[in-house]
Amino acid sequence: MTAVAAGRHRGVGGRLFASPSVRLVGKRLLMAVPITLGVSILTFWVLNLIPGNAAQQLLGADATPEQIRAMELQLGLDKPAPLRYLDWLGGAVTGDLGRSLVSGQSVAGQLGERLAVTGELVAMAFVVSLLLAVPVALLAAYHPNRFFDRLSMFVSVTGLSVANYVLALVLVLVFAVRFAVFPAIGFVPLSESVGGNLHSLVLPSAAIGIPMFCLYTRFLRGDLVDQMQGQDYVVTAQAKGVGPWQVLLRHAFRNSSFGLITVVGLNLSTLIGATVIIEQIFALPGLGQLMLQAINTRDMAVVQACVVVFAVVAVLANLLTDLLYAVLDPRIRYGSR
Amino acid sequence: MSVKRDEVLTADPAEPAGAAALLEVRDLRIRFTRGGRRVHAVNGLSYRLDAGQMLAIIGESGSGKSVSARALLGLLPSSAEVSGSARFEGAELVGMPEREIRRRRGRDIAMVFQDPARSLNPTMRIGAQITEAIRAHSGIGRKEADERAVELLKLVRLPAAERRFHEYPHQLSGGMRQRVVIAIALAGEPRLLIADEATTALDVTTQAQIMQLLVELRERLGMAVVMISHDLGLAASYAQHVVVMYAGRAVEYASARRLFGHVRMPYTQALLGAVPLLEREPHAPLPVISGQPPDPAAIPKGCAFRPRCASATGRCEQAPPFSEHEPGHWWACWHPAEDPPGGSGGSGGGGENGATR
Repeated sequence: MTAVAAGRHRGVGGRLFASPSVRLVGKRLLMAVPITLGVSILTFWVLNLIPGNAAQQLLGADATPEQIRAMELQLGLDKPAPLRYLDWLGGAVTGDLGRSLVSGQSVAGQLGERLAVTGELVAMAFVVSLLLAVPVALLAAYHPNRFFDRLSMFVSVTGLSVANYVLALVLVLVFAVRFAVFPAIGFVPLSESVGGNLHSLVLPSAAIGIPMFCLYTRFLRGDLVDQMQGQDYVVTAQAKGVGPWQVLLRHAFRNSSFGLITVVGLNLSTLIGATVIIEQIFALPGLGQLMLQAINTRDMAVVQACVVVFAVVAVLANLLTDLLYAVLDPRIRYGSR
Repeated sequence: MSVKRDEVLTADPAEPAGAAALLEVRDLRIRFTRGGRRVHAVNGLSYRLDAGQMLAIIGESGSGKSVSARALLGLLPSSAEVSGSARFEGAELVGMPEREIRRRRGRDIAMVFQDPARSLNPTMRIGAQITEAIRAHSGIGRKEADERAVELLKLVRLPAAERRFHEYPHQLSGGMRQRVVIAIALAGEPRLLIADEATTALDVTTQAQIMQLLVELRERLGMAVVMISHDLGLAASYAQHVVVMYAGRAVEYASARRLFGHVRMPYTQALLGAVPLLEREPHAPLPVISGQPPDPAAIPKGCAFRPRCASATGRCEQAPPFSEHEPGHWWACWHPAEDPPGGSGGSGGGGENGATR
């Protein structure tokens, strides 16, 4: 092997910047900047179009125009919108996302707490659904159209046809109301109790994760069956005399994983939308809940920050997808002929 | 040297004579059911192949040549119904349990496929794809398997074998990839190699190199080769025996030398006529076989070539038997062609090449 290994890496350092994957990451990171900027401008503009502002919301319906005017001055709402945007941008670039117009608290501080809750929720739903989907899809694709395959397809089509907020209510009805094994609402911070924390997140993450599991299973099973039945390299592998599981895992699954990564990457950004609703239903103090409250109180600084965070997460998810391709797919890693 | 063998051979596609054959296919039939439609891919194919020989199976696309080859390895989808017999060294392959036939894949019979760009796993290094084949049949360790894989790459004359071992298929040219596919096929030291249109996707120069390699490996390793092709010229140049298939049936079988001098079956004759020749007038229209090959779901009764055949008569509505009409020469036709006047060997393209190989 040593003699053979000699030809492996020649001038790794010199090739680093010529490497297609490094260039790819650079390009994607550069593209993330205008995307984030665009999203923040769009949000600012749309929020500006909504009638009513924070001053009116804070003072209530009885406030006189003079009071409102004074409040607007105090909050800086009297300045023209482009100027306010530039103010915000100047702060945001240096890491200062401003203060909440309503509570006066630092937006960045609020976001941090909330982001941890949402992040945990998404991570739990994501990891469990993916870890379950892969073996189920593999088992289903091993014997297509047999009982297990049909059962898993029935379950995943059903799961995909149910909206996640309906699923959430059904889960609450069964596991919180009828059997009382999990709490219907509320959140236990990780710092308080690890077990309690996980316990409180089971139902919300199931509501998000079950449709994801169904989507991944359905996609991966379909792609695996396509690879097994339609690809010549599978026949080559079979003709070598290797066993069926080895053909499925080493050959078909490796190639199917690229498709799965695409689906997961796209799905991860739509997932953020799901958290907004699910956090509302389960009263979780996450980012989605914060954003909804802020929209109701016209707390521009908070809404703006939330939307930008969501945009950055979506961009990062896509970047990660591309990166994973570059790591896993040798055709990208080494460039094409 | 192959000349002598041809003269002596009592080529006998259906009945064993003398020494036991390496592979003996008798009345092989393969049927698929797709969406309620019965498709008859192979309707009675018989041939025989002795150890170390090269046999060409020739036919248009859809004539059942690839399907019949895959059936030998049990590589057909589960919707296929296979009947008849295919004996490899006496062991019946048709209906053999999956477990048992899997042990024979790669070790007794190996296969090389048409498109080397698609027949290698794009996500695995060349080396891993070969060692996988080596280790499927022997208990040797990783290191030994690696060394053996490099040896195999050298055997198929892949340049810079040690470096290629670590590369991925997309880093190789088409010809190099096909050499890798052949190296994989050789990994289990098979006694029979089936090359299914192995050179079709390659350019002419590479095609000749790969064929040359197959011939060389056959001689060096004493391995029999079944080459499946639609190219009669290629068959004439390299194979000792030729089976011509039409609509899932063998229609003519003879030694390559004999076949190209004394074509009997009008279909084979038409195939030979359709080979472009440099001797023809420039811009002369290429002769083609008129009509379409029959739909395998609705093969005409009697001789399947009847609708496209110039010599067809009412008698052809009855299927002609495939039998040995002249020593070593089998065909299925009521109206076999006569030898052309003025001696043998001039009836088709590439006929003279038969002696060179």
